[in-house]
Amino acid sequence: MYKLIAVAALVVSAIGGAADFAAAAGAPSPHGAYAYIGYPNDGQVVPANKPFRVWFGLRYMGVAPKGVKYPNTGHHHLLIDTDLPPLDQEIPSDRNHLHFGAGETETTIQLPPGKHTLQLLMGDDMHVPHSPPVYSKKITVIAR
Amino acid sequence: MRRTNVPAVPNPSSIAMMRLCATRAVSRAVLAVAIAGAALPLAAFAESTASPPGAEEYIIWPPDGAVIHGGKLWVRMGLRNMGVCPKGIVFPNTGHHHLLIDTDLPALDQEIPSDRNHLHFGAGETDARIELPPGKHTLQLILGDHNHVPHTPPVYSKKITITVQKD
Repeated sequence: MYKLIAVAALVVSAIGGAADFAAAAGAPSPHGAYAYIGYPNDGQVVPANKPFRVWFGLRYMGVAPKGVKYPNTGHHHLLIDTDLPPLDQEIPSDRNHLHFGAGETETTIQLPPGKHTLQLLMGDDMHVPHSPPVYSKKITVIAR
Repeated sequence: MRRTNVPAVPNPSSIAMMRLCATRAVSRAVLAVAIAGAALPLAAFAESTASPPGAEEYIIWPPDGAVIHGGKLWVRMGLRNMGVCPKGIVFPNTGHHHLLIDTDLPALDQEIPSDRNHLHFGAGETDARIELPPGKHTLQLILGDHNHVPHTPPVYSKKITITVQKD
């Protein structure tokens, strides 16, 4: 019985260790840090094929451009019509994953007609999500 | 965010920065004395960083004329055509936010003061949690470069007025 518990404990600690290792890829984020989209609002109608502004919000953390190592900072990534990427790797850079490596805190985008999702994800100096990761709620906008 | 209230005490690193700048000012003063009479006294002017065309700083929230109940609020700091970068780091077309409370713009060719009327957000913060007593207050943002000196041309927001009411 004790042996069984010991084995179980070993397995649990091994899994925990592996998880720690995977999560250790990104810079640490401060306790309570979160990102949010200040504008548009969830469910909002935006003009189709016309630029509209997206505000990046960040609390209990700061913004620093890419390549800058500074405690408790990161730069914004705007995810469009996609789920969160793997959180232990560099965030992809393509039309669904926009990088704001110059420390920008807002942008303008335009979207074709239809439903679209927007989500923010912070990346560290190497574009890797923090541990724990800092991302916003995923919102939906309707381009019309 | 290190500052949860209107802080009266600058953090240790800003004290260190102030000391550093004081030392620099002294050595400049010595230099100025050394060349006094022969050259213009340029020692008082800090070197400043260029801002890109179209750069604009503004207060996203609260709006001008807002009435705040209780006095605790988040100020959301907006910046266009430029980026945010913590103090002490040289990165083109960036700066960090300073929130001016109940005060006019400081001298634009010198380091922005650090006190309870001039809050520094040197860790790259873009949202500021502040607490104000009841009454009318003005808020204004000014961007500072890596040395806390306003850019050339300076980047600052409109000054807004808010009213704090007791809960």
